[in-house]
Amino acid sequence: MDADQDRFAIVVEGLVKRYGRIVAVDGVSFRVGYGEVFGFLGPNGAGKTTTIHVLATLLRPDGGRVLVAGRDVVRDPVGVRRSIGVVFQDPSLDSELTGYENLYLHGRIYGLRGGLLKERIEEMLRFVELWEHRDRLVKYYSGGMRRRLEIARALLHGPRILFLDEPTLGLDPQTRAHIWDYIRKLRREMGVTVFLTTHYMEEAEALCDRIAIIDHGEIIAEGSPEELKHMAGNDIVYLKIRGAKPGICGFFEDLAIECRELPGGRVALKVEDAVKALPRILLRARDRGLDVLEASYHRPSLNDVFLLLTGREIREEGPMDMIKAVVMSRRWRR
Amino acid sequence: MSEALDALIVMAYRQLKRFRRGRARVVSSIVNPIIWIVFFGLGWSNVFNFPMARMIFGGLDYLSFLTPGVVAMSVFTASFIGGITVIWDKQFGFLKEVLVAPAPRWATILGRIIGDSVIAVIQGLIILGLSFLVAHSLNPWGVPVSILYMLILSLAFTGVGVSLALRITSMEAFQMIISFLMLPLVFLSGAFYPLKYMPDWMKIIAYVNPLTYTVDGIRYWLTGVSSFNPYLDLAVLSGLAAIALVVAAKLFSRATLD
Repeated sequence: MDADQDRFAIVVEGLVKRYGRIVAVDGVSFRVGYGEVFGFLGPNGAGKTTTIHVLATLLRPDGGRVLVAGRDVVRDPVGVRRSIGVVFQDPSLDSELTGYENLYLHGRIYGLRGGLLKERIEEMLRFVELWEHRDRLVKYYSGGMRRRLEIARALLHGPRILFLDEPTLGLDPQTRAHIWDYIRKLRREMGVTVFLTTHYMEEAEALCDRIAIIDHGEIIAEGSPEELKHMAGNDIVYLKIRGAKPGICGFFEDLAIECRELPGGRVALKVEDAVKALPRILLRARDRGLDVLEASYHRPSLNDVFLLLTGREIREEGPMDMIKAVVMSRRWRR
Repeated sequence: MSEALDALIVMAYRQLKRFRRGRARVVSSIVNPIIWIVFFGLGWSNVFNFPMARMIFGGLDYLSFLTPGVVAMSVFTASFIGGITVIWDKQFGFLKEVLVAPAPRWATILGRIIGDSVIAVIQGLIILGLSFLVAHSLNPWGVPVSILYMLILSLAFTGVGVSLALRITSMEAFQMIISFLMLPLVFLSGAFYPLKYMPDWMKIIAYVNPLTYTVDGIRYWLTGVSSFNPYLDLAVLSGLAAIALVVAAKLFSRATLD
């Protein structure tokens, strides 16, 4: 166990958190290695934010053990706080101050000062491309700018572990892609361990090395995006071949787990990894003189995995989400 | 320790920065006491313009009696509301930023309280300056000591406000406190009329009202008239401030998002 403390940025064992009689987090266990991007994926109300708040020492767990950066969140919260940066789901900036002042305040509270602090502020503001806007009051920032400023602030004191709670909730697709770039960049350039929560599947898939799928306060699956998707079945490659004759599957026998001939000269090949199998399949077709008119593949998505495990879908931009997004963006602007 | 001091200073700095930007807040907090002095004070000072009237106010003209009370009132109001605005930080999320920081919680909240207190004293000084224009028996040499009383008063009530804000969860409760606590405390402080003419049951409330001792202390140093020993006033105020600051620091140290 002691060795784990050094190896893992986050160790959670049997975490329980209740609000009155409601159990928000019900015996969750997982580990996150240093340098990893780990995601909690699940629908709203699954217990993601509660977990982040416990990990960030803002909520007291009712059961289990939580180590962050090797320190116990209950016994040594200050030790944990020194090693982490947090971007909360709801805005937590002082909107009556400028972007620069928000970072200055943060730096001083974290014990930075003088020239070093100035350098760090400039570095981080340039990192999120807000340097030009540094002297504007935050209340005049757009939703995306505020999120970026929060990311810059969370990184200012050089934390080893960064928590991001729904980092792109309520943002438009373009801004979202922007934020994803920053998250990839900060991992690549700063080697920060990232723990993020999201209910967007593409987000988890685009950013995370490993994902835990959480529902009703429990982790129902855990693994890399690839591993998880394999749970929902294999990839399928579809080919359309000119003048395909019965028995055409014979050509691809050794390249696919299963082959099925479909009407209209189409063939479906079940494979382990479509991205790797497709070039080989096309090469084989050319060798045998087959004229491939169309090629495509289908991969099971994380949504298929969630559907398989719970019988429900992780709701994506349903009517409620739209309303929430509108409300959120209003709150950001205030 | 220097880390704690840094956090303390920068949190005070934040309050002052916000104060400088929030002009509307500054204006409204000064306008209210001015209304009291002009429309209430000038009005009654003409009523109390007969020879025996000065006897009621310990030998003072009414405006000289009233203005030290209004100064205390304005400092009290500004600091109490300043403390309670922690609830806005809760509402708008900034509180989380402070709670998740490694700096000692007592230092961050004390810094905030000091910042708000300095602001309250500045507002009080503006009112005091205006008071000299209308009241004729105020002693300028009493101002420095009065500042001390004002500062301790504001530390105490910012602390009380912060503690309340950490406990209350709704804006309705905030409104209740303003109307059911602040106004009666002001009226029962001896700011507007002498304590000795109050009915006994009101006197009892006035004696446990910390604002009474501030009004009394400041009035003593500015006019020489008082109901209690000014050092007793100072002791009561300091005691309250110490308790309020410790309670606020304790509550804030234990604060979670539960």
